[in-house]
Amino acid sequence: MNLDVKKLFEEPSLIQITTWARGVIENKDARDVVFALANAGSKEGKYVQAWENYVDLPDRVGVPVRAYARISDEPLLSKYVYENEHPDVVVLTNEALVKGNDVLQGMKPGGVLIVNTKRDPEYILKFLKDTTYLGTIGCIDATEVAGHVQTLSGAEGATDASGIGVGVGAVLAGAVVKAKSIVKPENVLSSVQNEEACRYGYDEVRLVTVNTTFPEFKPAPKKPLGPEDLPFAGTVPSVDKENEKRITGNWRSERPVWSKERCTNCLLCWVNCPDSVVVYKTPEAADFTNLKYCKGCGICAEVCPTKAITMVPELDFED
Amino acid sequence: MGKKRLISGVVATAEAVRLADVDVITSFPIRPYTGIMSELARMVADGELDAEFIHADGEHAQLSIVYGASAAGARTFTGSSGVGVTYAMEVYSPISGTRLPVHMAIADRTLDPPGDFGSEHTEAESCRDQCWIQGWAATPQEALDLTLLYYRIGEDPRVLLPQYACQDGYFVSHIAGEVEIPDEGQVKEFLPPYKNKHSLNISDPMIIGAQIEPEMGPPLQYQRYIAIQEARKVIAEAYKEFGEIFGRKYSPFVEEYMTDDAEVVIFIQGAHSVTARNVALKLRNHGEKVGVVQLRTLRPFPTEIVRDVLSRFKAVGAVDNSVNYGIAGDGGVLLSEARTALYGLGDKTKTVGFVGGLGGEVITMEEFYKMYAKLKEIAKTGKVERDSYWLPYEL
Repeated sequence: MNLDVKKLFEEPSLIQITTWARGVIENKDARDVVFALANAGSKEGKYVQAWENYVDLPDRVGVPVRAYARISDEPLLSKYVYENEHPDVVVLTNEALVKGNDVLQGMKPGGVLIVNTKRDPEYILKFLKDTTYLGTIGCIDATEVAGHVQTLSGAEGATDASGIGVGVGAVLAGAVVKAKSIVKPENVLSSVQNEEACRYGYDEVRLVTVNTTFPEFKPAPKKPLGPEDLPFAGTVPSVDKENEKRITGNWRSERPVWSKERCTNCLLCWVNCPDSVVVYKTPEAADFTNLKYCKGCGICAEVCPTKAITMVPELDFED
Repeated sequence: MGKKRLISGVVATAEAVRLADVDVITSFPIRPYTGIMSELARMVADGELDAEFIHADGEHAQLSIVYGASAAGARTFTGSSGVGVTYAMEVYSPISGTRLPVHMAIADRTLDPPGDFGSEHTEAESCRDQCWIQGWAATPQEALDLTLLYYRIGEDPRVLLPQYACQDGYFVSHIAGEVEIPDEGQVKEFLPPYKNKHSLNISDPMIIGAQIEPEMGPPLQYQRYIAIQEARKVIAEAYKEFGEIFGRKYSPFVEEYMTDDAEVVIFIQGAHSVTARNVALKLRNHGEKVGVVQLRTLRPFPTEIVRDVLSRFKAVGAVDNSVNYGIAGDGGVLLSEARTALYGLGDKTKTVGFVGGLGGEVITMEEFYKMYAKLKEIAKTGKVERDSYWLPYEL
């Protein structure tokens, strides 16, 4: 056989939708977006699947997690995959996800990014490293109108008894079909519990065109790991300082801001921080110097007796 | 030169463990393995062997403890039988995956129910694909030798894999045979101290069994796969050197008996191969061209050697002393793997399976006679009427 394998397995009508969210607190919202769109596609006789990323760590609060939908006019060839490698649409249920996550990775030319934020698209764009293939960005404050729904119902491949599209997921699904007509808006409306919220997303999303022309799309084929790429027997040196392989700063939606004036150096924050973010050198030099591991849990602000620590939205900071 | 004694397989195994100077032993009683445990406990109590002896609260714990001890750099020994072997199933893959040369003696016992303590290879064979070195001893002498050989093979830096040294319960484990017990000096020459590439070290901590992602699965499985491939070479080398040092020369993978001009052979492993040989000898005296091919190493399976050997005969009867309910051909592992080894060579060598000795029942000489008669019939007519026969009901 001498076939062009890339051409042979092409799926030209396949649309890939990827939603990024925060573990536990927004898993359900991410699932709602992809299930609402897939269910709408199903109503139109399209071939669909929707699922949660299996490799992410969904039971850690704040960890970036993903949910996916695939919608096609043709039967799905590549059904058993872990990820959407080349999304047409990326949705963020939380604005801070633009930091520390390559959310546009692999995006197809002319792709769409929808962000749940009250900020302007132009401000969000500042945080995106490579927007070469991004066609449109849309911002909508979904939390304002619908709120996050926290439930384990529907997690781990089980049935969602709480209903699809109750919270921000409905808003964001509406915004998606406004930006890109993947499925008919009326079918999305009839696939969510909260129609009003969905309609709001469709009507109110602020869309901005980013690029209209794109360089040739040539994604590099994935190279499998070889036996020499992993340590002998999978054993690894134990971490006794910092774990560079598990940076957790991108779990953070709010940043602790420390006021030197109010601080009495009681070090309760140093004692309570679960991630050793508060670095204690001398009593005069306790500082929040290691934010790359700060998950934004807020325990430090909670335990501080003098309110020297306040939690500030992460996207207020441009660094 | 060592001295000769008349001892059972359990004592022979314990003697080998003493000679191997193991560091950590874990135990939990179950017949017929219990004798090994008792003998070792006596040795440690009497000061014949300086080892940590840990009586575990079950077989899962037995294996878990030697897993940790081996990771800490200790030479370890454990053992079990029957449902004890299957209870510890979870721990087998982690041990081989961490590339720790834990040594386990299995004195076979039928799986429940009911609580039959007779021997069957079922329990040990059900663990055969966990990347452990595995083979059967047919006599107490072989039990002793297999123990020493497996420490040497498993601890070789090119292999670093655990081993199941199996012996048929009761037949080998409890019936005494003449055993030459080697000198400690000979064993020292044959078996260098255990040294792993990675051992737990308090000043250089290491994580074992960290969570990985699916894409890291193939490379790690491939490392293990290469190790068991490499073991074939190391097994051959170790048996050769064993023969030179101890004077007992074994064929490392398959032992042929009266096969030179044989037309039909029994393909078998473990204790019952001794009976098969005796029957073959009797039949030879009456001019029948029959022989025995004894499989010594089940894992890694010696595919090419089995192919080369078995393809010389007109008919091969694979005797399985185990249950593999619903398996292709309704025989057992030996039938399936013999057929796989012979695949592609055409129809010159006919194969048929015999399932016998279940529950620990004796495979009688009369039964072997019937098997040979069936094989002769197949060789003559060239017709295989069925894939396999369950003894004593179907033959």
